[in-house]
This record gives sequence, structure tokens and C-alpha cells, in this order.
Amino acid sequence: MTRTVVRARGLTKRYGSFTAVDSVDFTLEENRIYGLLGRNGAGKTTVMQMLTGQLFPDGGELDVFGRAPAEHADVLRRICFIAESQRYPDSFKPVHVFKAAPWFFEHWDAEFAERLVHDFRLPLNRYVKKLSRGQLSAVGVIVGLASRAPLTFFDEPYLGLDAVARQIFYDRLLEDYAEHPRTIVLSTHLIDEVANLLEHLLVIDQGRILLDRDADEVRGSATTVAGARATVDAFVADRAVIGRERIGGLASVTIDERLNQADRVRAAEIGLELAPVSLQQLIVHMTGTDLRADQTEQEVAA
Amino acid sequence: MTAVIDQQVVRTEPRSRFHEVWRIVRLHAVTPSVFFGIPWIILGGAWLVMVVIGIIAGGAGADVEKMGEGMRYSWAVLSPQWYLVAVGVQAIGLTLSFALGFGATRRDFWLGTSLMFGIVSVLNAIAIATLVQLEKATDGWWLGIAMFDALWYGQQGWVVDFYTTLAFQLFVLFIGASVTTVYMRWRMRGMMILMFGTVALVLAVVAIATFAESWPAIFEWFADLGTVGVFSIVLGLAALFAVGGYLVIRRATPR
Repeated sequence: MTRTVVRARGLTKRYGSFTAVDSVDFTLEENRIYGLLGRNGAGKTTVMQMLTGQLFPDGGELDVFGRAPAEHADVLRRICFIAESQRYPDSFKPVHVFKAAPWFFEHWDAEFAERLVHDFRLPLNRYVKKLSRGQLSAVGVIVGLASRAPLTFFDEPYLGLDAVARQIFYDRLLEDYAEHPRTIVLSTHLIDEVANLLEHLLVIDQGRILLDRDADEVRGSATTVAGARATVDAFVADRAVIGRERIGGLASVTIDERLNQADRVRAAEIGLELAPVSLQQLIVHMTGTDLRADQTEQEVAA
Repeated sequence: MTAVIDQQVVRTEPRSRFHEVWRIVRLHAVTPSVFFGIPWIILGGAWLVMVVIGIIAGGAGADVEKMGEGMRYSWAVLSPQWYLVAVGVQAIGLTLSFALGFGATRRDFWLGTSLMFGIVSVLNAIAIATLVQLEKATDGWWLGIAMFDALWYGQQGWVVDFYTTLAFQLFVLFIGASVTTVYMRWRMRGMMILMFGTVALVLAVVAIATFAESWPAIFEWFADLGTVGVFSIVLGLAALFAVGGYLVIRRATPR
């Protein structure tokens, strides 16, 4: 039985005339890994800041563990959120961050944190403001993992992390998640790298949710059809087109549809090439500016 | 999609409020240099300068009695206070953002920060008041200098020195912290309104006092208050800033 951890209805945040989050609805279930995907400035961090009680919503309803998160200690102590732009006191070194962590996270695992410090080769006794971007990200990743909070957010966790460190993060996250299930929200724009980690996707663009679906449903749901322009156009005529490229007489069209066997055979017969679309390509198609005016995008969102 | 089950997650045992407030005190104290180390290094440095001056003056055969008199007007004893205003500012400007990231509430953060300010002020007041007595007992550290036994200090005994230091210390910390809460809630616009509002208020008071020719009466009133009375007003202001900061910080957002 899954329990709902977060429920947002019409959640809105405005900054003057700019609407950063525009009446979004979504729920997060217990013990799943969510991907909060979208371009820079799409509203990912704002959503997470509202969910963690750091920002006050301007409209809508928000329940986290059964009540509004802001200023409710019994909700907040089950949440861990180290923002990508997290500020630290000037006098702080990583050693101070990890020393204070167990006072705030009741499930804190100091041994695990120590191992991660070693894995990420994080210098414990350097001032936080002197750390490189990657080392700063490592501090957030270590806090997020070792806190074992029932609701953990990772905001762009691999900014500046090298390939090895990113792999360590994925491995440790999956290992620890298997042993200590919890709800995890990963916000990122490096989509393909985490695609296999995610169980559910929330794609956000310009403050609205474009897609809210299980990752398994989304994977392989879209197909790119390439070939002679006229043939392609005829083939995709009744389908939900989410991307279209033309070079001379050739066309490559991405459709938001899983093709059945009959379709595949027919496509092969008329000389069309079919290719799967990666999650990243799919999201680029959905959030790319060139398609903003395209009607089909609204269909996808709906 | 999974069916949404309307069921609240079972709440675990509520921990005592004190734990949640006390951890903020520990958070401020995790780098003890900020509240304890640097202020005392500043004070120690000032003391060292005074000692060197005392040695030079003594060696040059100056009138030690007169030097001590002159030193009473030095503000060296207050030297860490300007730094502590900045500590108050940073406690809110940086530590608040961090504590919110760690899941503290604004309420507990302010209460914990206030408790920290209280502890620091009491400790500093004990230390300063005691150093005043020590300086008097050693006749100015055997050099005739007057660093702690200066300004209003050293005239009405340990208790008055303790009380005045405590009041002033709380005032300094809370003014820095509470003004910063205005920034954390309303950002630059709030600071501008606060600044211009304060300037306008001061000018209005000066204008009224001048036109009503009530300055002599005001000075007389202050003189009648005496040291303890004046610092009771300072303590009252500190309390006012503490309450104001609490009200403002409840809707503050991290940078």
C-alpha cells in the first residue's frame, strides 16, 4: 500500500508580475524516486523550496506528511533539502556541517557520511566558501544521503561533480535506497544520466507541469520516424507529433506514441526508419522553445 | 497511477521543544570563534595596545596618574561591540538559510538565536565586570592604565558593571539580528523603507524638541536617570528588537 507523502493542488508562487510556479497539481507517493526535470528557471527549485517550507506559496493547497510544511517542526524534521545554492555560515567547514547534521536528522548515519567523504575525497577542513563547485555539491549529496530523511531532495546534485563522483552518487543512492526505502526527489537537467534511476517523472516548464508519468511508461513511448518528407508526413498524420525537423526532402518527426507491430511493419514497407527516443530527447522536444507555439505540445501536457 | 490513499503518515514521538531550540544554540556554537574567539581577540589586542602605551609612558616618566585619567575616555573596552553587530547580522543572514535547509523552523531558530545571545551576553558581562575589578585591584595592571575601568565602568561596583554590559551586549546583538530579519523578509525594499523611516523619525523628534525648546529638559531627564536608568532603556530597546525580530522572521525566506 502506498501512502501519499506530498499533495499539491493549484500550488502557485509569484514574484511580482512573474509567476514562477503556476497552479501545479501533483502528488508524491512514499518510497519512490522522482525526477523533477526541466530547464533552468523552469521552477524546479521554487517547487522544492515550497515543499520544504522555505518559501510560502501564494496560492493553492500543499500537504506534506499531512499538513502545510512551513513552520511545522514535525513535518520539517522528516525532510532533507540542500539547495544547489545553499548558503553556509562564513566560518563553516564541511566538518561543521557533518557535526551539526545529527542534531537535525534523527536517522543520520555518521559512518555512512564518513565513507562518502572518503569516496568523494572531500576536504573536511577547508572553509566551505573555498570549496570548488564539485566539492560543494558533494557536501549536499553527503548530507542528503546520510540523513536518510523520509523525504529527501537533491537539487542539481551533480553540478561540478566529475564522472567518477557522479557514478559514486548513483551507486550509493541505489544501494542505500534498497536498504532504507524513502521518497527521493532528484531535480536535474542532466536527464539521460539519471534516467535509469528514476521511477516517476515530473517535467516542469515555465512553472507548469508538462508531464507526470511513470518512467517506465515514458521510456520507449516516443518514436522518431525518418524518411522522405511526404511519406513521413502521411505516416504521422493522425499521431501526436512532438518534434519535427526537415532537411531538404527529408523529414524526421518525433511522435509521442508507442508503435504496434502492424505500424512497424508498414513503416518498414514504405521505407521509413524508426528509432527510439531517449528521455532527454523527449524532454528537449517537450520543453524546447522552437515548439512553444505548437499545438501538439499542449496535447502532450494534457 | 497509484490510487491516492487518504491517510496521514503516522507521527513519530514529538521531541521536546527545548531540544529543537537548543540545537540552534549548538549550531551557533559549532564554530566558537564567531561568538567567543574573535571578540576576545579584539579585546585582548586592545588591552595589549594599552599595556604597551602604559609601558612607554611609564618609561618616559610621564605622570601615570594623569595618563590613567585620560584613558578613562578611551572606548577600548567597547572595541568588540562593533564586531558583535556584524555577528548578529551574520547569524540571520547566513546561519538562518543554513538552518532552514536543515529543517529548523524560523520560530525555533529565533528562540535559539536569542538564547545564544543571552548566554554570550551573560558570559561577557561577568567577564568584563570582573576585569574592571581586577584592573582596579592591580592598580591598572601595575602600570596605571585604565582600559576596563573607563567610561561609566568601575564607579558603582560589580553589579552595575555587569548589568550595563549585559544590557549593551544584548542591544548590540539584537539590533544587528533584527534589522537583518527585515532584509530576509522584504529584501532591499524593506531595508530602504526601514532606513528612511528611521531617519525621518529621528529628524521629526529633533525638530519637535528644537521647536518646543525642550532640549534642556531632555538632558536633565537623562542626567536624572543615571547610569542604571539609561541602560535600563537600552535593555528595553534590546527586548523591543528581540520581539520585533521574532515577528518579522516568521515569514522570512532564505537567500
